[in-house]
Amino acid sequence: MLRVLKVIAQIGLLSLFVWLGGRFAALTGLPLPGSVVGLVFLYLALRSGLVKLAFIQEGADFLLRHLVFFFIPAAVDLMNWGGVFYRYGFRLALAIAGSTFLTFVVSGHVSQWLRRRHQPCES
Amino acid sequence: MRILMTGFGIGLTLGAYFLAKTLYMRYRHPLLNVVLLGATLVAVALLLLKIPYQAYLPARSLMMSLLGPATVGLAVPLYRNRELLSRHAPAILAGVGLGTLTSVVSVAWLAAFAALPREVVLSLLPKSVTIPFALEVVRLHGGSQALASAFVVATGTLGSVFGGALLTRVGVQDPIARGLAMGTGSHGQGTAMAFLEGQEQGTMAGLAMTLAGLTTTLLAPLLIRLLVRA
Repeated sequence: MLRVLKVIAQIGLLSLFVWLGGRFAALTGLPLPGSVVGLVFLYLALRSGLVKLAFIQEGADFLLRHLVFFFIPAAVDLMNWGGVFYRYGFRLALAIAGSTFLTFVVSGHVSQWLRRRHQPCES
Repeated sequence: MRILMTGFGIGLTLGAYFLAKTLYMRYRHPLLNVVLLGATLVAVALLLLKIPYQAYLPARSLMMSLLGPATVGLAVPLYRNRELLSRHAPAILAGVGLGTLTSVVSVAWLAAFAALPREVVLSLLPKSVTIPFALEVVRLHGGSQALASAFVVATGTLGSVFGGALLTRVGVQDPIARGLAMGTGSHGQGTAMAFLEGQEQGTMAGLAMTLAGLTTTLLAPLLIRLLVRA
């Protein structure tokens, strides 16, 4: 029971960062979501020691372990989009496959090349 | 009545999640995707019980309100691996940065070439990043959250089925580079596959997944203006 309360309180603290991120984006007028700005804020707060890992890690680990759950409600709406797949299915598949192929090749080769350049003696 | 329906919607989604997860855990097949399987189960239950989609919306927004704190929580694995992050900074930043740019630009061009409607194109742009980032990009800049999540899952499935073999075929052997490519190209699903290759690949893929999400969200406003016709 105590652990459940702890997780809930820590999720509350994480939500505070979402709110802070949202305020920051609104005040600066930057087209960024509060959660993403909040992620950067939390990382900086952890690095600077302002927030201890122990304050948030159980809440964060709980949410991340079940991250896929929160995607299900967003995808249920697909029942209203059947027509798009019927009409454009083949073109969509080609665009997704082509772009994914290129992404793998570019990011794999760029990082392999830089790894070899910077650590020539390692391998 | 509304409260009852909301509770039912949440219970239904939880049930679908645990059922889909149990099936995935048993067979471990990349095509048994928990998101798509879970969403299909919920959709079929709503249709069978003749519940209109509108009645599911309050439950949907309540569950999705936890997506914000979950996204913020991604700072935790980033912080835990901060030493790894700075040790491999050049490879990580360039691999993830250029990979992300390739993903968004190439899918926008291919989609324009295929003459897809604007709403579909906007939903395609964040296809390589994990769903919380993709949903935010679509919410801020237009497109459909449902289509975006379907495209994200399609990309992740494709990458987790063929990504490893593709990297071997094009000569990427370095374990860190393989992990970075899997996380950049196929987010969480790629990360799961990278962990099957090894701890080093998996950790790198997880870092790349979060950083690719950040990069995509930051670049989206600019890239949409440059690449997508109004």
